[in-house]
Amino acid sequence: MKSTQKNPRLRATLTGYGFVAPQLIFFAVFTIYPIFEGIRLSLFRSTAVENTFVGLENYINLFQDPVFVKSVLNTLFLVVVITVGNLILGLIISLAIFDKKNGYVSFVRSTFYLPVIVSTVVMAMVWKFLLNPANGLVNWYLTKASGKSINLLGNPNTVLWVIAFVTIVASVGTSIIMYVASMNGISTEMLEAAKVDGASKLKVCTKIVVPLVKPTTLYLSVTTIISILKLFVIIQLLSDGGPNNSSMTMMYYLYRNAFSYNKMYVASAVGVIMFVLAVLIALPQFISMNRKGGK
Amino acid sequence: MKKNHSLISKIKRHDKLDLVVNVIVFILAIINLFPFYYLLTSSVKSSAAIFKMPPDWWPKTFETKNYLDLFTGQPAFRWAANSFLVSIITTIMVVICASMAAYAVSKLDFPGRNAIYMIFIGALMIPKEIFIIPLFQIVTKFHLTDTYAGMILPNVAATFGVFLLKGFFDTVPDAIRESGKLDGAGEMTVFTRLVLPIVKPGIGALFILNFVNIWNDYLWQMLIARSKSMMTLMVGTASIMQEISPNFGYKMAGAAVASVPMLIIFICFQRYFTSGITMGAVKE
Repeated sequence: MKSTQKNPRLRATLTGYGFVAPQLIFFAVFTIYPIFEGIRLSLFRSTAVENTFVGLENYINLFQDPVFVKSVLNTLFLVVVITVGNLILGLIISLAIFDKKNGYVSFVRSTFYLPVIVSTVVMAMVWKFLLNPANGLVNWYLTKASGKSINLLGNPNTVLWVIAFVTIVASVGTSIIMYVASMNGISTEMLEAAKVDGASKLKVCTKIVVPLVKPTTLYLSVTTIISILKLFVIIQLLSDGGPNNSSMTMMYYLYRNAFSYNKMYVASAVGVIMFVLAVLIALPQFISMNRKGGK
Repeated sequence: MKKNHSLISKIKRHDKLDLVVNVIVFILAIINLFPFYYLLTSSVKSSAAIFKMPPDWWPKTFETKNYLDLFTGQPAFRWAANSFLVSIITTIMVVICASMAAYAVSKLDFPGRNAIYMIFIGALMIPKEIFIIPLFQIVTKFHLTDTYAGMILPNVAATFGVFLLKGFFDTVPDAIRESGKLDGAGEMTVFTRLVLPIVKPGIGALFILNFVNIWNDYLWQMLIARSKSMMTLMVGTASIMQEISPNFGYKMAGAAVASVPMLIIFICFQRYFTSGITMGAVKE
């Protein structure tokens, strides 16, 4: 009979969907729907009284707003400085420690991972304290050393560097964990060959280790860039986008428009632009993950 | 790995550069601890001592006033309870949904399986912060602002757990599933009784990582919490931070309270952190 032949297949299908259903439902409501809704919102101008379709006007207006242009440039600056700083620092520290005794490795790794664990909120709070003009330790020493009043967070020329610095301190621990794990996976034969050649550690590192951890470098670049795109709490607590918008980023511009100025349509357009950026940045990682994950 | 160590130590026995770099790394590691030391010592200083420059590196007196003010002047216990509730419920839901979905995409055969997994993976890299406006509108439409549900539900959609656990499920031999099937067990029984116990390390890693992520989450919780009593510890302490008062001792007490629970978790479950973070990415 037909139904008996179809039955096991149908059953397997139902079972499969039954198992993915809970995740899929949450995913559809809180990830897929918001993406489409965000795109839709960005094409309308919605105020309390009207809701009109304006096509790409919101996007055109965005690029005519000097604050938005500045936020794009600032985001770009942070992406470059933080990604390069995070990866280079993480790589150098990992190369230095990966071949040492376990106790030392886990001490160094843990101290650098501490800021990640206590959260960027706490990190931002401590650094705000250290850098505040009234009784901040860093400001006090800098003022004393230079003889003039210094306020790194209040100076448009230094504020982005401070944000980059604090972000690197708050995130390099993850890079170290990833790099050290990846370096521990390198086969002994390779290093044996180098030993026979009498290679120095610098040579072993640059010729063997660094090329072999390239997948980790790729992964970390992608995740770091994306985490900078969504950087929020450090900006809010340290500088609030100031002074005079000099630390305004795309994410903070989005937040301000959405929740301070009540211009959801402007914020949605920024969100869509950031979405496209995130997709483009993540694409190489997505492809390599699929190659690994697919059967 | 052991062999690996001894090998390289032979190579670089006379490597001065390596020594110099390690000394610098060690010093940096110590400097890295300083902000936390300063945080903790400042939190027990009086409001007069906090303004002293240069500061007392070791507090002259230990005042509990900042902490007392925090717990009496602010609903800090409530904040901590909120953080715990939101983190634990989100994590339990994530573990249930992600383990079922990961089991399905790893072990079950059904049409559309690979497509679903690809979509899950694709979403991994898209931060939810970018779509905070439509997310916020959904939550508002369901009247979930200022509720636990509003803080919890959107975070269950994250697919990192599916990706993490699929790697673990893939290592479970099919024979285990088949033996259960021969005994006449249903798929759910096979899943919970036979397969799930094998992937316990993966579940543990996901649990810890997710708990810490939600505990440390800020933006979303800040948007959802309208009233002071619904704030989580991160949102509450950040709100103290944004007060105009320059009494940083009090603010640092808030920072200390927000970070200590995670420090304890980290010290207890260090192993899970390392395995969870690295499992999620590069497998050699």
